[in-house]
Amino acid sequence: MARLIRTEKEVEGRFEEVWLVVEEDPLSQWPAGPRDVVGRAATRKDALERVRGEARFTADIRLPGMLHAAVLRSPYAHARAARVDLAPALALPGVRAAIGPDDAPGLETEAGYVGAPVAAVAAETDAQARAGAAAIAVEWEQLEIVVDPEEAVERGLLHGEPERYERGDFDDAVAHADVVVEGTYTTSVVLHNALETHQSVCEWVGDRLDVYTSTQYVWGVREEVAKGLGIAPDKVRVVCEYMGGGFGAKNSAGEFTFAAAVLARATGRPVRCALTRREENVAAGNRNGTIQKLTAAARSDGTIVALGGEFINALGWDGWSASTEGPMKMLYACDNVRTVRSTAKINTPPMKAFRAPGFVEGTFGLECIVDELAKKLDLDPLEMRRKNDATSNDGTPYSSKNLAECYARAEKHWERRHEVRARSDARWKRGVGMASQVWYGGGGPPSYAWTRVGSDGRIVVVTAMQDIGTGTRTAMAQIAAEELGVPLDRVEVALGDTARGPYATLSAGSSTTPSVGPAVRAAAADAKRQIVEIAAQRYDLEERVLDIRDATIVSADGNLSVDLTEFLSMLGNAQILGKGARGPNPTGMSVLTFGVQVVEVAVDVETGEVRVERVAAIHDVGRIINPLGAESQVEGGIIQGIGHTLSEQRLLDPETGRVLTTTLDAYRVPTIADVPEIVCEFVDEPDAHLTNLGSKGLGEPPIVPIAAAIGNAIRDATGADVHGLPITREEMLRALKERRGAPAAV
Amino acid sequence: MELLRPSSLDELDGGVFVAGGTEVVPLLRDGILQTTSLVDLRAIVPRGVRDGRIGAGTTLAELESAQVPDALREACRLAASPQLRRMGTVGGNLLQSTRCWYWRLRYPCRLHGGDRCHAAEGEHREHAIFANDFCVSAHPSDVAAALLALDARLHTSRRNLPLAALYRLPDEADRRTTTLEPGEAILEIEVPPAEASVYLKAMDRRRWSFPQVGVAAARTGARTRIAFAGVAPIPWLLDGETVDAATPLPRTAWKVDVARALLRRALAELG
Repeated sequence: MARLIRTEKEVEGRFEEVWLVVEEDPLSQWPAGPRDVVGRAATRKDALERVRGEARFTADIRLPGMLHAAVLRSPYAHARAARVDLAPALALPGVRAAIGPDDAPGLETEAGYVGAPVAAVAAETDAQARAGAAAIAVEWEQLEIVVDPEEAVERGLLHGEPERYERGDFDDAVAHADVVVEGTYTTSVVLHNALETHQSVCEWVGDRLDVYTSTQYVWGVREEVAKGLGIAPDKVRVVCEYMGGGFGAKNSAGEFTFAAAVLARATGRPVRCALTRREENVAAGNRNGTIQKLTAAARSDGTIVALGGEFINALGWDGWSASTEGPMKMLYACDNVRTVRSTAKINTPPMKAFRAPGFVEGTFGLECIVDELAKKLDLDPLEMRRKNDATSNDGTPYSSKNLAECYARAEKHWERRHEVRARSDARWKRGVGMASQVWYGGGGPPSYAWTRVGSDGRIVVVTAMQDIGTGTRTAMAQIAAEELGVPLDRVEVALGDTARGPYATLSAGSSTTPSVGPAVRAAAADAKRQIVEIAAQRYDLEERVLDIRDATIVSADGNLSVDLTEFLSMLGNAQILGKGARGPNPTGMSVLTFGVQVVEVAVDVETGEVRVERVAAIHDVGRIINPLGAESQVEGGIIQGIGHTLSEQRLLDPETGRVLTTTLDAYRVPTIADVPEIVCEFVDEPDAHLTNLGSKGLGEPPIVPIAAAIGNAIRDATGADVHGLPITREEMLRALKERRGAPAAV
Repeated sequence: MELLRPSSLDELDGGVFVAGGTEVVPLLRDGILQTTSLVDLRAIVPRGVRDGRIGAGTTLAELESAQVPDALREACRLAASPQLRRMGTVGGNLLQSTRCWYWRLRYPCRLHGGDRCHAAEGEHREHAIFANDFCVSAHPSDVAAALLALDARLHTSRRNLPLAALYRLPDEADRRTTTLEPGEAILEIEVPPAEASVYLKAMDRRRWSFPQVGVAAARTGARTRIAFAGVAPIPWLLDGETVDAATPLPRTAWKVDVARALLRRALAELG
């Protein structure tokens, strides 16, 4: 039965109080551990399509008569387009339409960063469209630019008021502590650089609009586009069958979608608008940089008594301010915490969510300063963490928490540090460091799924979610196969189309599996119930004695054993339709994910080169649906995190505010040669309070602790404190000189 | 734009020369090079290695496993990515333009004929530590440093010259970084044998990165030649000076430390 509840909804660490219609979730969880299909390694359902190039990504969509659109972007970091003359563009060969500020959502007169979208042109070819955009005559009024976040804070150029938090008496606790450590930590801007750039193809079919787009949220785009264009949401169909990566940057429609839709309406032809790699590095969003002035205080026995932080989120022109102080509030059982977060509005490209926004940045500062505290107290960093492990989330009990088990499993990796250090020589200093992780990832309602069982004995799961490359398509198939008692190859998943399936969550905040998975299981259970009902009538048995196992309908006494396909063949054109919904989250409980990573590094003390040699990652995310897919998420998160820790650096020209690193030779993501040995372990204990699965999300947790663990390993290896990301050779050599007491190079 | 495919040197007449295209195509796309005709040199430039002479059309991938001095092989192996090395030629590699982001983004800098060095005043953490008073760009060729240390000579369609004479520092009067004349093509590279040679390279990831600092050293008899990549607007021969002569900018001081350490290692490896 549907039930109306008032509840707190969390996405990416942001909370809002909402009314929700939820359905009860009467299924009890499966016992812990691997089942027939769930909990066992499964290769991706779509692996062959992907490697054969058959999977149709948005970037592959070529509709008959399709035009190409290009966006004119601001050359100035802060300026107003006083006059925009589209005529020169329209006069060029191949150009079919041009639109300016206010003709489409996202195209604006005031540009707050270099790359801000101003106008767009549709033409027969991509080159003609780009020539057209370049030909648009704009009369710019330049405005003052500010790119330095500290200057912005001083001058009160902020997004909203500073966020303050306090528990206990921070000042008193610091005054009475045995040891106090203070430090300033900085994290830098990080670009998502998904393989598939931001792009959409829009086609009007009568008064209906089809949007093919690379997105993490087909329903969100549907809603946003309908609102932006002033049409009913059911006139908009959004399709994203295969997706080439998002990492948080593709949660909304974007100017490229609106430009394509408006230009398609103007020309009566489908329009494709795809960002180039250069545009992707300039105007597609980023993880904001932070400045963190931190204080950590402890008693001599290692009890952390006070944690404090003054944070600046250097947001850029737009975006939202993530909770950089989150880990400081949540990771340790510290009675006295005081934080303030200011959000600088500067003339740099906009922030967009990036894989655990806020917590990645905040964990770097917190977990480094906790290690510095441990060092000062001469305590073992693992013992320090165990001793101070939080027992509730600021008073709210956890739905489940197995961080202690993560620490126990980390011991054998942590023990390697003696042997690792012993392998140091004059040039390469080796060491081991660790960092813990707390993050959300519980998902929530609503999300829906259907199952369709035909007379061929095959099962289709229908749900309008999207698989953003994480393998959730496979996980959903596994859940349905498990519930229905059939092998995985009997199940297909139809997803990524708002016109062909019920609502499902956005794929952000590690929420796809914990949100949609329980709905899929419920839908499969509904179908199974109906199959059993029919079988009971056919064989004149009671429903309660019947079950489906190994694709066979069996009775409890073993007398009945009928092949499922054979049985279902009598359906003819009839179909069994199951439906399922995601039930509510547990009330009065905090649903969180936890983990710890232990990293081994080698530092070339003469040239500042840092090599990550081994990472052991132990995460607690409830039940694991697909161990292979889960490992792949951990590996991906760690590799992406090694990038922002060591080599990725987005540089701005301080004078013009222009991004200088617009190509992948300048913005350096890790290559396969940079990937260390990665050892994954999962606690794999279902969260008894969370849904019919007990599964949490895993997309984000693995990227949270890696930077701090590398920083701590560097300290272990060299004694040097690195406080700024990325840890380039320049930063590493600076820290080594500081350690030796020599003045840093100027 | 037209693509010409001449079959003999006599047919060369203007246009932008291209072989592997790994450098020229991006420069054309970004509007830094502009031309109406692109001239594919591959049919007329020698390719392959014979008797210490390397055809300028030889790819880096081919050189990586050829009978050439260690420093050159290693410089090729550490350059770019396997895909790029299969396309890029050694002749083209010597003529690469700087990776200075200001230059690549077409800021009106000195190298583009303007009157400012934007990098010197702005972001220059990967830039030059030698010969950087006019322009602080850094030359990205690993191969050029190796060949410079190996004392290679070039045979062009018009002349023979030591490799060092291919390069010139840009100045107020002339912003070019090479002495190659319009219409002149590098045909062959003559590499004298060395008793021992080595190339070491610092990058900020393990592969597919231009040199932050690359050092090549080659020993013949009592003489050791040392050359650097990534430290000056042109490949830099350390000629009678030491790394102490470097004139780093505020954010490039770290490169001096790296250069010094790599040089020490290179000389130790030469024995």
